[in-house]
Amino acid sequence: MRPATATRRTARSTGRAVRRTGPRPSGSGRRRSRTVRTTLVAFAMLSPALLALVLMRVVPMISAVNQSFRHVSLATGDSEFDGLANYTHLLTDPGFHSVLVVTLVFNLVLNPAIVVLSTALALLTAQRLPLVGLWRSMIFVPAAVPGAVVALIWSTALEPDGLVNALLEFVGLPPQPFLTSSSQAAFSIGIMVTWGALGYWMIFVIAGLKDIPDSLYEAAALDGAGWWRRLVSITLPLLKRPMAFVLIACTVGSFLLFAPVQILTKGGPNGSTNLIMFDIYNRTYLLGDVGVGQAEVVILMLLLAVIVAVQFRLLREEKA
Amino acid sequence: MRRSRGGTIVLTTAAVFAALAVFLPVWWVFVSSTRPGNSYVEHMAPLSWLAFVPVGGDLTNYSGLLSGPFLTGLFNSFLVAGLTIAFGLAIAVPAAYALATIDFPGRGIVFTFIVLVAMIPFDAIAIPLSGLFQDWGLSDSYAGLVLPALANGFAIFVLRQFFMGIPSELLEAAEVDGLGRIATLWRIVLPLSKPALIGAGMMLFLSQWQAYLWPLLIGTSPERQLAPIALANLSTLFTVDLGQIFAGSFVLTIIPMILLLFFQKQYTESLSTTGLKG
Repeated sequence: MRPATATRRTARSTGRAVRRTGPRPSGSGRRRSRTVRTTLVAFAMLSPALLALVLMRVVPMISAVNQSFRHVSLATGDSEFDGLANYTHLLTDPGFHSVLVVTLVFNLVLNPAIVVLSTALALLTAQRLPLVGLWRSMIFVPAAVPGAVVALIWSTALEPDGLVNALLEFVGLPPQPFLTSSSQAAFSIGIMVTWGALGYWMIFVIAGLKDIPDSLYEAAALDGAGWWRRLVSITLPLLKRPMAFVLIACTVGSFLLFAPVQILTKGGPNGSTNLIMFDIYNRTYLLGDVGVGQAEVVILMLLLAVIVAVQFRLLREEKA
Repeated sequence: MRRSRGGTIVLTTAAVFAALAVFLPVWWVFVSSTRPGNSYVEHMAPLSWLAFVPVGGDLTNYSGLLSGPFLTGLFNSFLVAGLTIAFGLAIAVPAAYALATIDFPGRGIVFTFIVLVAMIPFDAIAIPLSGLFQDWGLSDSYAGLVLPALANGFAIFVLRQFFMGIPSELLEAAEVDGLGRIATLWRIVLPLSKPALIGAGMMLFLSQWQAYLWPLLIGTSPERQLAPIALANLSTLFTVDLGQIFAGSFVLTIIPMILLLFFQKQYTESLSTTGLKG
């Protein structure tokens, strides 16, 4: 995992520094005072960053947990301990069940699709082809488009007289309702998210491809392996790590999807796009149910932690 | 790897097709933004070549857009992104430098803490944080918009990786010459670290430029709205021309595109650092 690797590397790369300033069993007073001074300098340099991370990330997490056990009175603004009431309210609410189902199904379809497509594009644009840098940059462009703008672009493109229906008509297919149909709205949001994400995740797979030594391909070519054989036996197994990273990071991102739902569908039609982040926003701000909203934040974080852990586990074991 | 001529043609065709398909919506938005009002529709059904060729249009959508709340939003977006880059780097650089070059007890723990906290997805805790910002008197302020983006563990990570690659002989030589730690960082290390500074700066910039949920929660009054919020609000008005939405979308897209045109290499290298080397 990340921290372990990092610590190992830290120890290796600063062996000399350890010898120079590290605490010794028989260290003299002068040396110890120098260690204290260096430590103080280090923490002085680190303190703004640590303060920011604690206040902006850790404290709100604790606050969410705390508030999820409390009830805030709308009339007086007072908050009182309320045990698990917010959680039982959520877990027995059929509305929340459908939010969970919509969110899970959406992610189950979307994330594997993004991993497969971004890997395919990475394999394609990592080849030596005429003007390949240009093609790669064009695929990367949507990654720079803000999520809200992605939503706006696609809402116009998916309108009855928008780009997609015009293209469908051009090739002789009937126009589709897209965002206004409860059977197509989630799919339409999936399309726009995929479009905005592909180029971004492609970069990570390309970086993984560059780490594969050429000698492996040369050896395979000497053995007469065709491109399919090389892909299946060399490229894909060695891409497992970057692909696992993309799957995990992309899952986290998709679980937190908010802008397109808030801007375009407000969870509808018929709750078909009521993804968990919008539901949290809705309960907290539009319904004013802060305690329940925070309980849902905690559930979301637990859900993410479990999913990331499971994905990590599965991809690890497969590798071994 | 050697490839047959036919293979190259097939792969190139596929790459061109994929690139055009992905790029087409952006191009269509640009062309439609030059059609005054809602007149882009005239070229849609049936689809005409004028939907993709920007001739015969004008810039009325842009002038209409820039006389409304979107201009304030754009100014705010630049201000907030600029402040985020400046303060974000001012916070991340010393932290990364301490982690990379100073050996102190607890360094491993501090680093692990930073990496773990960086993995907490911000949007998940944005709603509880906005409640806290209300208590702290920071809602509806520029400080409120900038502060959360300054806690960027990935920027620290990218800079640390880069600093660790700088030969320690160089730093020791500086020390022998009597240069202090800060002077070494400022005069020797930073001039060498432009790629990592650009990469981390791009990460900070894009984290703000792409933000939606947080500015929606915290920049509540019209004077402090960021551009994506202003544009999204505009799109919900029944009186608005879609042409202005196209124009606004294109403006918000072209700005990061121009930056990437110059800095794509540094940015993507920094990104890959966070993905793989961790």
